[in-house]
Amino acid sequence: MLAKRSYWLILLLLLLGLVLVACGGNDAEPAAEEPAQEEAAAPAVGEADCASADVLCVGLVTDVGEIDDKSFNQSAWEGAKRAEAELGAQVDFIETKDAKDYGANIGLFAENGYDIIVTVGFGMGEATAIAAAEYPDIDFIGVDQFQAWMFDDDTSNDFTNLTGLIFPEDKSGFMAGALAGMLTESGTIAAVLGTDLVPPVVAFKEGYEAGALYVKPDVNFISTYHPGGLDVAFTDPEWGASTAKQAIDQGADVIFGAGGKTGNGALIEVAGNEGLFCIGVDTDQWETVPEAHPCLVSSAMKLITPGVFDLVKASADGAFPAGNFLGEVGLAPFHDLDGQVSGEIKAKLEEIDAGLRDGSIETGYSPG
Amino acid sequence: MESTTSVPVWKQVWERLGVLGAVIIVVLAGILVFYVRDPQVTTAVLSSTLRQSTPLILGALCGLIGERAGIINIGIEGQMLLAAFTGFLANVYIGQLGIFPLGVTLFLAAFVGVLTGALLGLLLAFMSVTLKMDQIIGGTVINILAIGLTGYFYIAGLTTQGKLQPISLGPLVDIPLIGPVFFNNPPITYITLLLVVIVHYVLFYTRWGLRTRAVGEYPSAADTVGINVYFMRYANTTIAGGIAGLAGVFLTLEAVGSFERLMTNGRGFVALAVMIFGKWTPFGAWGAALLFGLATAMQTQLQFTGNLAIPHQFIGMLPYLLTIVVLAGFVGRSRPPAAEGIPYETE
Repeated sequence: MLAKRSYWLILLLLLLGLVLVACGGNDAEPAAEEPAQEEAAAPAVGEADCASADVLCVGLVTDVGEIDDKSFNQSAWEGAKRAEAELGAQVDFIETKDAKDYGANIGLFAENGYDIIVTVGFGMGEATAIAAAEYPDIDFIGVDQFQAWMFDDDTSNDFTNLTGLIFPEDKSGFMAGALAGMLTESGTIAAVLGTDLVPPVVAFKEGYEAGALYVKPDVNFISTYHPGGLDVAFTDPEWGASTAKQAIDQGADVIFGAGGKTGNGALIEVAGNEGLFCIGVDTDQWETVPEAHPCLVSSAMKLITPGVFDLVKASADGAFPAGNFLGEVGLAPFHDLDGQVSGEIKAKLEEIDAGLRDGSIETGYSPG
Repeated sequence: MESTTSVPVWKQVWERLGVLGAVIIVVLAGILVFYVRDPQVTTAVLSSTLRQSTPLILGALCGLIGERAGIINIGIEGQMLLAAFTGFLANVYIGQLGIFPLGVTLFLAAFVGVLTGALLGLLLAFMSVTLKMDQIIGGTVINILAIGLTGYFYIAGLTTQGKLQPISLGPLVDIPLIGPVFFNNPPITYITLLLVVIVHYVLFYTRWGLRTRAVGEYPSAADTVGINVYFMRYANTTIAGGIAGLAGVFLTLEAVGSFERLMTNGRGFVALAVMIFGKWTPFGAWGAALLFGLATAMQTQLQFTGNLAIPHQFIGMLPYLLTIVVLAGFVGRSRPPAAEGIPYETE
């Protein structure tokens, strides 16, 4: 019967969909149990023996999102790749599809005898700490994961194999804000942000605001966090774009987009307007969002790649600094917009950078 | 609303217009007060409202056309996402050929996106009409398929030649407040506003619309007077899919200009809430979509202004709260078409 055969067809379609979701998608649908199983096979197949002591194996678990996310996951992965090139490490990654798979994905590397596991993102902090306690022989690097146990009196919860790679985002934001404050002609600058549920995003924002006020005390600063939860706040380019538009419509002429793809949407929107500036975040977004070239003057960077590499190297050398490891931050090059940033502004930025480093300038942001 | 119980007609009319009229007057008065206080910000908020509501109203139109014909479509999200993707890819690759001017490229790309939506509509119709499958499952198939396909075939770093630009409607733009909000928009926004009127007209003032509603309310009666139930359901679901496709195209060709995985971010599902809020009517849905859009824009504006007494999440919650109020029956009953979700079989 035709109808029966067609049922098979539909079933096949559904299966195809599920398989594709497992392979490439970033998933919020009920099909989420699938990916973890699919990936189970991935790291183990065709690899050198990570259980052997001579092979340095580095496994990276992404935050929800893709390895090529043009941002966080990608920068961390580049750090691991550098370890592959310079230290001869065996590297592999698992893309997390759903926040509830964090533990399982870390476990896959741990069970396969990996020596170092890098977990990317604030959201994975808890799962990483649990895994670090369970596998004391493996060194864990948590990108953007602040380690609070460093600062309590309780020694029973201390780790020797867990390091949070954290960044003074407020300083990075401060530099961006100072740049924005010096570039603005309308006197209004804006920030379109991911969610305030993620402390680094808040730090970027607070630093940006402080930086702008530092160079231009009468600047009108407007900013918005995405109203959604962690699952949508960083993947909503249209919200970012229309929010940027709303800011432009009320006179903002320098806009800071800080929030994954949501922020990218804001950058692209700004690029569609003559004579406005936009500032990217996390990595040099000149490389990652070509649509934003007309407005992208710089990016408030967290130098994740060298941070991850340094920690991997430290672990390989047996000098793993458990606790919190403060990475570097800085502004990305001005690229094509270099001509629009005067020598005066550049000098001032250098002065501020030096001030931030020696502590003579404070951002006023205190976490927690 | 077609069925009259013991309540007299004048009272029904008064109740509907009373509540609706009061709401509209309050909203308009509020907008005017704000406009007098700060024209720039008010205009910015209202432009943002219209923009945020555009994909929602298109999705809601898709949903209500389908349901009016008896087919529940929860695959709107998937239709939007896949159409956004194919529209974007078409824009990239047709642009790379370099044989068409940008306008033509964008038109062709939009056509590809709309076609994608329509094909997914056709698939939904096939599953629910021919195979008599559970329509919720059918919609879920489309959603999962779209996430899978777009995730798998997504290529990072593709760029386009450009996106749809605003077309200013000459002197109309100079009208204070209304001009910059309504008459200086990119094409899909205009098309959307037209579609609200067109769908309303077609559904309630044409033979096609009458048949569509008959098929959704009482298919066996429609069948006995010679209406082809299967055809009507197929045709409407496919056309509706095209409209959902337009919503997707709006995101990639008009609003953002680039594609990201999962970029629809639940708008297809919010569109369903909008449709229910609007009581399965195009104008009702438009009003509801504007309300959702306004809530988002207000949320942003409240954060811009700072000094919030209430958490911004609370404002974002309001439209959903209102939807529940509507569903609970306080603002007049919201009744779905009687035969939706039920596969039709000839006796």
